[in-house]
Amino acid sequence: MKRQVPLVLCFVFGIAMIFTQFSPHTFSQGIHNEVTNWTHIITPFALVLAVATLIQTHWVRIRRRTTHWQYSIVVFAGLITMVAFGIRSGPKNRVFEWLYENVQVPMDATVFSLLAFFIASAAYRAFRARTFEATLLLISALIVMMGNVPIGDFLWNTVMAWTPWDNATSNASQWILDNPNLSSRRGVILGVSLGAISQSIRIILGIERSYLGGGD
Amino acid sequence: MGIFGIWIAAFLTLCIYSFLYRDNPFYRFAEHLFLGMSVGYGIVLNIHSGFIPLAWDPIYTAITEEGKQSGLVKLIPIALGLLFFARLSPRHTWLIRYPIAILIGFNSGLFIPSALQASIFEQTRGTVEPFANLGTLGPWGIFEAALMVIGVICTLTYFFFSVEHRGTVGWLSKIGIAFLMIGFGSAFGNTVMGRVALLIQRVNFLINDWLGTIF
Amino acid sequence: MFEKLMRIDRRIIFIFVGLAVIVPTLFPSNLPINVPEPTRQLYDYIDALPTGATIIIAFDYGPSSFAEPQPMAEAVMKHCFDKKVRVIGINLFAETTTLADKLMQKVAKEKGAVDGEDYVFLGYRPGALQVIIGMGTEIASIFDSDYAGNPLAEIPMMENITNYEQISLLLDLAASSTVEAWITYANTKYGLQIGAGVTGVIVSQMYPYLQTGQLVGLMPGFLGAAGYEKLIETSAEGTAGINTESFVHLLIVGLVVLGNIAFFIQQRREE
Repeated sequence: MKRQVPLVLCFVFGIAMIFTQFSPHTFSQGIHNEVTNWTHIITPFALVLAVATLIQTHWVRIRRRTTHWQYSIVVFAGLITMVAFGIRSGPKNRVFEWLYENVQVPMDATVFSLLAFFIASAAYRAFRARTFEATLLLISALIVMMGNVPIGDFLWNTVMAWTPWDNATSNASQWILDNPNLSSRRGVILGVSLGAISQSIRIILGIERSYLGGGD
Repeated sequence: MGIFGIWIAAFLTLCIYSFLYRDNPFYRFAEHLFLGMSVGYGIVLNIHSGFIPLAWDPIYTAITEEGKQSGLVKLIPIALGLLFFARLSPRHTWLIRYPIAILIGFNSGLFIPSALQASIFEQTRGTVEPFANLGTLGPWGIFEAALMVIGVICTLTYFFFSVEHRGTVGWLSKIGIAFLMIGFGSAFGNTVMGRVALLIQRVNFLINDWLGTIF
Repeated sequence: MFEKLMRIDRRIIFIFVGLAVIVPTLFPSNLPINVPEPTRQLYDYIDALPTGATIIIAFDYGPSSFAEPQPMAEAVMKHCFDKKVRVIGINLFAETTTLADKLMQKVAKEKGAVDGEDYVFLGYRPGALQVIIGMGTEIASIFDSDYAGNPLAEIPMMENITNYEQISLLLDLAASSTVEAWITYANTKYGLQIGAGVTGVIVSQMYPYLQTGQLVGLMPGFLGAAGYEKLIETSAEGTAGINTESFVHLLIVGLVVLGNIAFFIQQRREE
């Protein structure tokens, strides 16, 4: 009941999705659409998992008075405020939209913009041509970086005007993306896809069961 | 309301940038507020754009409108979805395996034929197709077509661990690493563009929108 | 000296990065932009669409990454409204919903496009795969109303649109792997043409799909946004952004070169 039924459900839904994709018959397509519809209804409930984990983590922090536990109250304050304004009148509520635009979006965008500083610092400290492979990585990165911005071509066309190649920086960058980058990415796509397909088969057949978690 | 909003946004932006100096209470406050509000926003959207139109409305229609009783069949996936709440009770946590198993089975079944077509067949076709038009290609085009095949084969060889990477396989794998490094380098170059773009957007906000309200 | 240079406090580098953004923002430059070929392909594809054609724009990014896709969306929508190509907006991630809604309204107002006739924003539904697959069968089975709550059956521009068969292009503005999902499920199963505008972080992985034709075109990050703006003869956030970006890239390249010079000199001394 605890492990066998989920394995059977996984098998049935997996097989249903595989076979119905190969048959255009109305009956088969009916099953395909119904299964898609069922899973579509189940999906939003999965949010419970994420919210429950977050609430549990921060509730424990407050109860045990761990380091910086006060900030967990801020988490709840933010969560409750958004839910309070949006739950009844929906996401088009004016206050809800105002909070989203003036509080949530700026913070979200700023947190991720911090990475620009760290990527520059990391490049300065760690981006070294120590080996042949590292040199390839470095040269490719520098060319693409300069090819991505108009100043790359501007400098080339000004300083290297005597060469027969116009806009060489962006052309070189585009060539790297279109050729060696494409080949390596394609190799990765093929490898990852083959791996994911075999893993999917193992899941459907019940060989791979890690998603069931521990316990009986 | 507009200017007040800009000032709030600017204050929170600066709170987060204060982390560049070192970790501090302003940063921690903004970080936690951001976390809570994001989850709150997600809850509202998932209820209004997910739970209500997908689960509540069909059931309500099935109950209130005549001839639509077949909609009651949706009670089954709704019941399965509700099993996610079992996560809240340690004794019944195992029940969430049911909806998870269904979603995983669905995704796996959907993935296999589509990925075979989109990622295996199409990508293989793309690799060999230039050779079908070999007569129309110039020497540089032939070089690029050959380079692509070599790159794909060598990259795949690098990821092929069933054979020891020695001799010919070792060499192919080394060439594969070279291709991968060029690929990662280009990815790094592009990543820099992406990350810096985020910073430019925020600085643009601070200078033009926020300071614009003062000067 | 070189040892000191290598152990420089990271906050000094942060100051340089900050200045490299602040100064060009205060004193904007206007360097000539080279339109990337994949962006030109996307422009040509949209430009060749007949009047009254419909495209879908999927706003699959979030507030954490909107700096690049937002100018792309603006440029493409302006192009579409000028050409009388109708636009349906959707998003697979909840966190973009309000951003996308406001952006569509803003561009529509600028171009005089009418909600429900020239464009419609359907909003968000959870379950990305189910949305992609479900819309292929019937859009109304996933979105029974638009984001504002108007029933789909009452929206004039949706009158003759049932599924992907009536859609000329899906443009995915993405910051993660949604482009692959659209290709794998919508392009493969339903033959829907896919275009993409992606953040810099995922640009490199798009090229295999461009070469096979699974993508009709691509806007790579800020450069793509600026390129598209140039093609529609306008200058907005993308153009300003890529010009500012120039100086930060120059700084980072300079830092990497400096770091390597210091590294090699130190290594030689140690030898």
